[in-house]
Amino acid sequence: MKKWFQRSYMGLVFLFLYLPIAYLVLFSFNSGKSKVIFSGFTLKNYADLFTDQQIMQALLNTLIIAGISSIVSTIIGTMAAMGIQRLRKWQRNAVMNVTYIPVLNPDIITGISMMLFFSALGISLGFGTVLLAHITFNIPYVILAVMPKLRQVDYSAYEAAEDLGASPALAFRKALLPQIMPGVISGFLMALTLSVDDFVVTFFLRGVEVETLATVIYTTTKTRISLSMNALCGVMVVVVLIILILANLPQKQQKPKKEERI
Amino acid sequence: MENIIELKDIHVSFEGEVILDHFNLNIKDKEFVTFLGPSGCGKTTTLRTIAGFIQPSQGKVLFEGKDITALPPHKRQVNTVFQRYALFPHYNVYDNIAFGLRISKTDEKEIAERVSEMLKLVNLKGFEKRNVTSLSGGQQQRVAIARALINNPKVLLLDEPLGALDLKLRKGMQTELKRIQRQMGITFIYVTHDQEEALTMSDTVVVMKDGLIQQIGTPEDIYNEPRNPFVADFIGESNIIEGLMLRDLLVKFEGVEFPCVDKGFGENKPVDVVVRPEDIEITEPKEGMLCGTVESVTFKGVHYEMMVRSENYLWKIHSITYKEIGTRVAMEIIPEYIHIMAKEV
Amino acid sequence: MGKLKNKLVAVPYYIWAVVFIVVPLLMIAYSAFTNEDGAFTFQNILQIGIYGNVLLRSLLYALIATVCCLLLGYLLAYCMAQQSERGKNILMILLMLPMWINFVLRTQAMQDILDLIQSWMEAAGISLRISNTGFAIVLGLIYNYLPFMVLPIFTSLEKLDKRVIEAAEDLGANRMQVFRKVILPLTMPGIGSGVIMVFVPTISTFVISEKLGGAKYNLIGNVIQEQFLTVYNPNVGAAISLVMLLIMLFILIIFSFLDDETKEGLL
Repeated sequence: MKKWFQRSYMGLVFLFLYLPIAYLVLFSFNSGKSKVIFSGFTLKNYADLFTDQQIMQALLNTLIIAGISSIVSTIIGTMAAMGIQRLRKWQRNAVMNVTYIPVLNPDIITGISMMLFFSALGISLGFGTVLLAHITFNIPYVILAVMPKLRQVDYSAYEAAEDLGASPALAFRKALLPQIMPGVISGFLMALTLSVDDFVVTFFLRGVEVETLATVIYTTTKTRISLSMNALCGVMVVVVLIILILANLPQKQQKPKKEERI
Repeated sequence: MENIIELKDIHVSFEGEVILDHFNLNIKDKEFVTFLGPSGCGKTTTLRTIAGFIQPSQGKVLFEGKDITALPPHKRQVNTVFQRYALFPHYNVYDNIAFGLRISKTDEKEIAERVSEMLKLVNLKGFEKRNVTSLSGGQQQRVAIARALINNPKVLLLDEPLGALDLKLRKGMQTELKRIQRQMGITFIYVTHDQEEALTMSDTVVVMKDGLIQQIGTPEDIYNEPRNPFVADFIGESNIIEGLMLRDLLVKFEGVEFPCVDKGFGENKPVDVVVRPEDIEITEPKEGMLCGTVESVTFKGVHYEMMVRSENYLWKIHSITYKEIGTRVAMEIIPEYIHIMAKEV
Repeated sequence: MGKLKNKLVAVPYYIWAVVFIVVPLLMIAYSAFTNEDGAFTFQNILQIGIYGNVLLRSLLYALIATVCCLLLGYLLAYCMAQQSERGKNILMILLMLPMWINFVLRTQAMQDILDLIQSWMEAAGISLRISNTGFAIVLGLIYNYLPFMVLPIFTSLEKLDKRVIEAAEDLGANRMQVFRKVILPLTMPGIGSGVIMVFVPTISTFVISEKLGGAKYNLIGNVIQEQFLTVYNPNVGAAISLVMLLIMLFILIIFSFLDDETKEGLL
């Protein structure tokens, strides 16, 4: 394919992906109230955003839920992956099929199924149910991140550690954990991202009083025209950009030189 | 015999690094030609230039006298057996081999005949339905050869095809490749860094280094008459020592005069002398002979490998007689085994 | 002894999975076949008929969005794979950045820009409606989920052994034939996971249709949401969810043909 064609096609697609976001962010600096007419530059919307009690509380909730749920799911998921790895093939397949359910199921199904479950048990919806739901949809991603690493593990190191008198727990910590750590970390980060980003499951399980960033965005954009959401988008772009750049920097240096020529 | 492929003044560079430096080569029809050299010498690049995967920045590739430099790979009448085979993982053995004919829209009946012919040629009958990823390295290799041969190419290019196989399998495949080449009666251009492989199989060996041809010749020529120290050192083991060509048929090194069979170097000219380890005979030391002390002895099966220190040189000698370390020995070399090379300028 | 312990570490997860994954799913089936008093009934299932149009529309929108994402996404992934290592890294960051911005916000962004275009069109005297239409919904779906199609396809293109492509060229295949006979079949796993990753959220969305469709074009997701949160008839909602689960089951069957590595690649 011609170079110019590739360039212009990629340009167009990325324009499509970024134009709406750019537009949203542009109007976060609008001093007027309109989303169509730009009246002048201001940072007022950002100031409003950071002083908005509801949004700050939602941010706090989001971080707490994401933090707890990703830590808990990383622990349960890593342990699960190690156990599953030791199962016989048919058992493993059965367990993995269940594990794929939350991954493949639409969020709305995950949300309403748990909603039905909690209401059948008479548990009222709120912070706790949101947390349980987040842990539930996070665990499979941790398992899927750790499993491939476990398959590459050199078990002789673990056995050697046990042979040298380490207790199973110590042998795990010293000989096994370091080997699967990359998988555990990527599983944790995955869980964290999914949890922060989730709207649908939270929406069904939050009850009346719990708000996360996603639900606040949903209700705010639904009920009133406010440019503070535009400002929130601006903040998110900056945060994500920083994270992505930081995450990609070391990788680029580690990349080996191109294929060898003989 | 006429030339099937001619490379004229080919120049290839990659990221500012010259890989082929004004390279010229003629390859005769029905020949088994091997490009031999260390990694980075440009042998694979030469092969890929012939196949059409690399466009030289300068020079021409002629095929049967016609310029094919601008022709894309799929229009060239040459086929390649790739390093690590590059089989299509989504096809079985039959479909892999049939690929070329399917592309040229041959009818399925003829394809079936040709494929079974090819499978017979490479001794893989009954493997038609097998998944290529389930085959052993040697079997995959055979599929790759059959796949490349089914289009009846006039030239088959082989890029280190045996590199991934173990030693024993490699030996077997060498003989078989030679048989296939004779049976098909086509030109094979073979790339390897294994000198033994090159010597065993080829009609002509092209020794390369840094994008330049060092020597072209039959395996015997290359082995017995290396043109420079690089070739001498790269092909087989050798002792290379500085000497002085006193006159035609007489050379002096390590203070001893040796009669030889080379001439035409002039008088009192410094030269390089090459002697193969197996061509030195160990005898009892006498006055006027080249003498040295045994420094080490290793048993190698058919022979002992001895390192013998003379005045200025450590000789490697393959001998069937055993001498203890520290023994003083004489080294006899008959004129035919002394090979003289002009000093490189 | 050590082995036994290793197996037991998964037990907390097994319990968790049964309680919070399996039982809730069974609850959907249970609710679908019972009324408010817990008595067995087919009433809810029979009511699904009313939503036939909605189901068809959801299926149609999801299919159009998935096909568009596949065509646009494959071409994009293909172009990306041709770039230098540096270029690939930058393009990957560019592709992933929008994925990390909350999708409700992204949808709002789409709505805002469509409103802007609409106002321009009105000013120019063009009477065509764009915002608050089915077209807007499909556009929003493509906009939101295109990166999810590109990523797995790009990964499988990257994994492709370049020598296999050369081998095909060497055997006489032209560009089109190389693509059809080698590149396309070998990137099938990427296409498979891309299609699943786009189709599943598009068929079940309620936010995008609600925001971009101006509440005029209901999809299954909206119906389920209403049944649970506004009309409050969870039994009918469960019955409709059951239909969606059947569609998912169908996809799961296709999915089970993919190998393990591809499944893990879904991340």
